[in-house]
Amino acid sequence: MGKIIVADNIVKSFGVGRERRNVLDGVSVDIDEGEFVAIMGPSGSGKTTLLFALSGMDTVDAGSVVFDGVELSRLSDDALADVRRRKMGFVFQQPTLLRNLNVLDNIILPSVRDGRKDAGRISEKARALMKMTGIEELETRGVSQASGGQLQRVGICRALMGDPKVIFGDEPTGALNSTSANEIMALLADVHHTGTTMVLVTHDVRVATKAERVLFIFDGKIAGAHVAGRCDASREDLRAREGALVGWLTEKGF
Amino acid sequence: MVFRAVRNDVLRSKAITLITTLFVAAATMLVALAAVLVVNLAGAIDTMMTRAKTPHFMQMHAGDLDRARLAAFVRQNEDVAEFQVLEFLNLDGSQFVFGGGSLAGSVQDNGLSVQSERFDFLLDLDGNVIHAADGHIYVPITYVQDGTARVGDTVSVAGMPMAIAGPLRDSQMQPLLSSSKRFLVSSNDFAALERFGSVEYLIEFRLHDLAALGAFGTAYVAAGLEANGPTITYPFFRVINGLSDGLMIAVILLISVLVIAIAFSCIRFTLLAKIEDDYREIGVMKAIGMRVSDIKRIYLAKYAAIAAVGSLVGYGLSFFLQEPLLANIRLYMGESEGASLAPVLGLIGVVLVFLAISAFVHAALGRFHRIPAAEAIRFGASQEAPSASRRFRLSANHRLGANTFLGLKDVLVRRKLFSTMLVVLVLTAFIIIMPRSLHNTIASKSFITYMGVGDIDLRIDVQQTDGISAKTAEIAASLERDGAVSRFVVLTTKALEALSSDGSKVRIVVELGDHSVFPLTYSAGRAPTTDHDIALSALSAAELGKKVGDVVPVMVEGQARDLTVSGIYSDVTNGGKTAKAALADDGADTMWSAVGVELSDATLVGEKAREYASRFSFAKVSSMDDFVAQTYGPTISAVGTASFASTGVALIITALITLLFMRMLIAKDRTTIAVLKSIGFTNADIKTQYVVRSVSVLALGVLLGTVLANTLGESLAGAVIAMFGATSFAFVVNPLEAYLIAPALMALSVLLASVFGTLDAGKIQVSESIRE
Repeated sequence: MGKIIVADNIVKSFGVGRERRNVLDGVSVDIDEGEFVAIMGPSGSGKTTLLFALSGMDTVDAGSVVFDGVELSRLSDDALADVRRRKMGFVFQQPTLLRNLNVLDNIILPSVRDGRKDAGRISEKARALMKMTGIEELETRGVSQASGGQLQRVGICRALMGDPKVIFGDEPTGALNSTSANEIMALLADVHHTGTTMVLVTHDVRVATKAERVLFIFDGKIAGAHVAGRCDASREDLRAREGALVGWLTEKGF
Repeated sequence: MVFRAVRNDVLRSKAITLITTLFVAAATMLVALAAVLVVNLAGAIDTMMTRAKTPHFMQMHAGDLDRARLAAFVRQNEDVAEFQVLEFLNLDGSQFVFGGGSLAGSVQDNGLSVQSERFDFLLDLDGNVIHAADGHIYVPITYVQDGTARVGDTVSVAGMPMAIAGPLRDSQMQPLLSSSKRFLVSSNDFAALERFGSVEYLIEFRLHDLAALGAFGTAYVAAGLEANGPTITYPFFRVINGLSDGLMIAVILLISVLVIAIAFSCIRFTLLAKIEDDYREIGVMKAIGMRVSDIKRIYLAKYAAIAAVGSLVGYGLSFFLQEPLLANIRLYMGESEGASLAPVLGLIGVVLVFLAISAFVHAALGRFHRIPAAEAIRFGASQEAPSASRRFRLSANHRLGANTFLGLKDVLVRRKLFSTMLVVLVLTAFIIIMPRSLHNTIASKSFITYMGVGDIDLRIDVQQTDGISAKTAEIAASLERDGAVSRFVVLTTKALEALSSDGSKVRIVVELGDHSVFPLTYSAGRAPTTDHDIALSALSAAELGKKVGDVVPVMVEGQARDLTVSGIYSDVTNGGKTAKAALADDGADTMWSAVGVELSDATLVGEKAREYASRFSFAKVSSMDDFVAQTYGPTISAVGTASFASTGVALIITALITLLFMRMLIAKDRTTIAVLKSIGFTNADIKTQYVVRSVSVLALGVLLGTVLANTLGESLAGAVIAMFGATSFAFVVNPLEAYLIAPALMALSVLLASVFGTLDAGKIQVSESIRE
């Protein structure tokens, strides 16, 4: 299986003068195509910064990020936007939807950017995704008429519209109650089973339990990796994985 | 706390606060200027007319004069306070030879006067009564101002060299619209030059009470006194003295209203945007028990500060700008005695603008009452979604690209916000199109037909000479044989008596002849065609109390004849009280006659004018183009300049406002832009969306602005043109300018401003905005 993301010795700093500090301090990460990677670490350790660097949402000060064989720093803004639209999907902690548009329109938005030729097919696909995620009744509703969990599903549908190679998630269940969080994670796991690479930042051990590999980041450096292998989602398997992960994290002082 | 909140807010939005303050400053400056100019103009006219002791009633008369009969009339009439007869020595323009040329081409009746002893004084620039020494001549200030005459130079008057001793102010003949100009000489020089021209009498009266003017006019006519010439009254002198500066003030007032509207729009836009931004905070403040009035105070303080600073700056600027604008008034009319009141009135105007802004902001903040705290805290934004925009769906749209759709959708959803930009664009389109159309209208050849003159190439006047009828017949016979003349008409002017609705006798100056040859534009009705028709000027109709279809008894050949009013037209010539009829009256004396000529080749006008002037030395020949250029030229050119200036100003306003709005929107929409970027929209896409927003609002703005300019603008322009005596007119719109060039210029301005205004969109980092 090939590498979809290769980050080599990346450095990212924030602040000016004496206040300037490296949030990412020489991080190297390889992610395989189809892999499910969770990034964990204490607050301020650089998790989200790493996610944004790997997805090209943010530039790096040093080092390189190669995504699907292309070094992101060499791409223009527009080319980077094309990569995001065609090969990446994003799910954030807070649903980042446009209030002006209804649910269906939010979902199809990135796909219709490239033209209206396939409008019918695009809408059909969006409806199929809504059905899959259990929000088909929201189609014509405004985003203010949906709950947090429903909105997160809308975000996932939007992320899946372009059949992305990688889905990046930044605390996708962070703002949800446990029932909704479980449902969303089940959904993301299903998506991963279709062959989509997953890179999630999370605080939640139960979320990270579903990952094949967990990276622990501390003070801008990768402090270790816990490889759990493929998850079969059985109750026993999940319990065993969670126990192992908690033990490993405790070793790391988390 | 309020001070800190205001300071932080201002620091966060420096450019926006600056532009809003600038508009408030511009608005208050214009209001203060208009107030100062109104006070000064009215005061200066009053001061000049008081010092000059302008006559209340003046009858011009050519021909024999019975002074004893006039003196007897004055003795019997209790209204008369003072009475005098002045002589005006009419000289041909070519008799005045200056260093740089003569007045041969002047359409004015130029002549000499001596200083009067009782009233109607000619004044120097200090407002003092001038006493001309022998060999000295004082020239109308207009000629000094336009460079025709230079003080200190010599002018040859009918061959007599005279030193130009200075300019003079003439309270009754100074304006360009007055067709005569008086030069002042000593009695000796006047006597020496008398044989070179014809004397016209100015029979002048001052009354104890100006309110008795109407009754006095009726008594004068009833007494059958000298009346071979126009009658002009004090109110008419006042109007024509104030006309050109009044026009300027009207334009300033109009622009200040528009700028105030723009300033209000700016404030409304920034306020709405700020409320949207602070929606959650407002909810929180309400939730923790702050009273709406306390929350409002924080917002009100910022705009009160902007209004106060803007008003002070505007008031200060008005002092710098009033000097050049007052220069013209000071030069032609002198200082106003009430000038010290002007800054106070200006300040009152400024305070009114300040209060209006505060009240406007207060009213706009009333929406705080309608913000539900729970909803604001939960969603951080108003949940109102207009139903019309809900039906406009991306999934149901098969024509528009995603960027166009998103731009249009946003305009529909946030229409309250965009309506503000729309208002500004409507106003700027109006400011561009309306003055251009006004200029096109008054510069068009047909405009003269609104002013009591037909559309002719040449006009030959026979006046103040013996045997007017025979001389006119000689001209007509000659024109008949002239192959270059395609049409001509002889119009003879006589003074006839008419009976007004209240039964009193009124003297009207009636132009007799065929008025269908070169028709006027009638504000109501049509030209007189039968010998029982009469058309009245607006002023005559008002004085007689008649409208179209009414019957006016007029004394024709010694007998009363009922004439039907066929039409009403505008006229500012001859005191404005004129009439036109197709009947013949050989009994009445001819005051003057005029021959209107149309040439088969209009390019021959200059050549023919010279030819006729030398062939008919007793007549005054003027080309209509010269007449228009000399009478209305400065006004037309001033309106032309003003229209170009307003186009420039409007384009700058358009660009500034678009820039302001775009920058504010980009700042407000940071998160949305970041979301769009995160899902693969490029910077160019985002820019396109904002350009779609501004261009769609622009298109609607130009459309509404054009409609408004051609409806409301026409009425407003009508009010301005009515000052010239034209009571009704139709806009002459240049379609290329109004429908192509103006929108294209605005589009260019909006596009450039949108592109510059959205530059920041490219700098928005997805990572930073989403993380927030």
